[in-house]
Amino acid sequence: MSTRLRRGQAPTRRMAHIWDASRCIACGACVMACTQANAPEMMFREEKGWKSLASNIRRIDSVSPHGRPELLLVQCQHCENAPCISTCPFGATYYDTDGRVRLDPARCAGCSYCVTSCPYNVRWLHPDNKLPKKCMGDGCIDLTDSGQQPACVQACPAMARDYGDLNDPSSSVSVTLRTKRSRRLLEATGSEPKFFVVEGSR
Amino acid sequence: MTPADLHYQVDVAHWGWSIAWFLWFVGIAGMGSVAYYFVRRAPLAYVIFGSLAIGLLLVVSHLGRWWNLPRVLWIMVINLDFNFNSWMLIGIMMLSVHLFMTLFIVIAHLPFLTNRFGWLGWTKALNASNLYLVLYAALGAGATVYSGFLITQAAGVPLWNTSLIPVLWVISGSVAAIAVLELLYVFGLVDARVSSFGVRLGMGLDVLKLLAVLGFLHVALSFGSAGARFGAELMTSGEYALMTWGGVIGIGILIPLAIGAYTIFVGKSKPLLLVSSVAALAGVFFLRAAVLLAGVWEPLVL
Repeated sequence: MSTRLRRGQAPTRRMAHIWDASRCIACGACVMACTQANAPEMMFREEKGWKSLASNIRRIDSVSPHGRPELLLVQCQHCENAPCISTCPFGATYYDTDGRVRLDPARCAGCSYCVTSCPYNVRWLHPDNKLPKKCMGDGCIDLTDSGQQPACVQACPAMARDYGDLNDPSSSVSVTLRTKRSRRLLEATGSEPKFFVVEGSR
Repeated sequence: MTPADLHYQVDVAHWGWSIAWFLWFVGIAGMGSVAYYFVRRAPLAYVIFGSLAIGLLLVVSHLGRWWNLPRVLWIMVINLDFNFNSWMLIGIMMLSVHLFMTLFIVIAHLPFLTNRFGWLGWTKALNASNLYLVLYAALGAGATVYSGFLITQAAGVPLWNTSLIPVLWVISGSVAAIAVLELLYVFGLVDARVSSFGVRLGMGLDVLKLLAVLGFLHVALSFGSAGARFGAELMTSGEYALMTWGGVIGIGILIPLAIGAYTIFVGKSKPLLLVSSVAALAGVFFLRAAVLLAGVWEPLVL
């Protein structure tokens, strides 16, 4: 079970998410599974700022310059240099020993600084408890602590999602990143994200 | 420019009008403290104290989980765990100290308190101490700078990620402080001598403010990322263009400049000074509101 990382302590694992854009069929199962697992009370409620289902996965539909419909799914990137951790005035946002960015509700006063600090716009304010929710929610933390994959990975019918340890060269995530072409989003921000978009074979 | 993935921070993070008012009050109190070092008048101390108290109340009321604040502070103190990387924490500490320092000055200006409670006499000594007032002015300037870096540090909103914002806040805070002095003069709360240095200095600061605003917009429009550019476009030709051109520049800069010129060439007129100082204060508020509300995230594309 992962715990809060102490100052100066290095994470024992570097857990990362992968989303394979070349496999994704845009069914939305991961988005629904995320809400079902982490905020079931929001299943029929909208995140007003995003104008979409309140989920820790945000769906971005766009059209390429050639007129082709495109889809991007983003969520907390569990950045290794997370701006939300630097800015949180009360230490509510922290790293755990698995290198994940987590939220301690007991320390959160709801200032939203983490929301404005996230370059990926993947935090949303829960309308009831005003917590800045994000991946991974309590449901997925419970799943991963019990040795299972997060809800989005389990729900994906196209095997477009994966979650694993970057420190382990034999993990499926490490193998995918070695063998397939991938990229990270908004790298120029220097946040060192651990969310990889796989674009296809090398 | 209409990217598919465009989100206003005010819709998601809700940093809107109450934060704009907070930044305005901090600007008045911060640079007002610098002005206090020079003029040392009671009405100015009252304005600074009121601004700080209202500003802090606004920011606490804006907290989504304000009721959890005592517990949060308790956990921080018990664990001696302070995140000094966060401008918000630094700012909260600075404003709290600033509030108490102002309170001591206010007490020193209230003879019915210091006479009745003799043990409060030390506040008069503080108010007479140059060292204390230098520290007070420095803290005020620091609080104004903090209110700029507060939003500069928000990495999600590229329009804000520029060091021009703290500079802009200091210049406009100074404009606000001078406007407050002019207002106090108009209402007969300070003498003409106190407000006399304000007109020329105010005009100089107005010109500097104009340059800084235009520089801020130019940098974002010409060299910024897509998010910064879109935010600047919102300010120059989009939803907040009227607030920028009419409120920040027209009301906030050109009207005070015109009245300042009239004052220099023709003479001082209290009604015009009233218009000029209210316009300058409104412009300082519009500036903060426009910059806040025009904040959007960097659009993400595959």
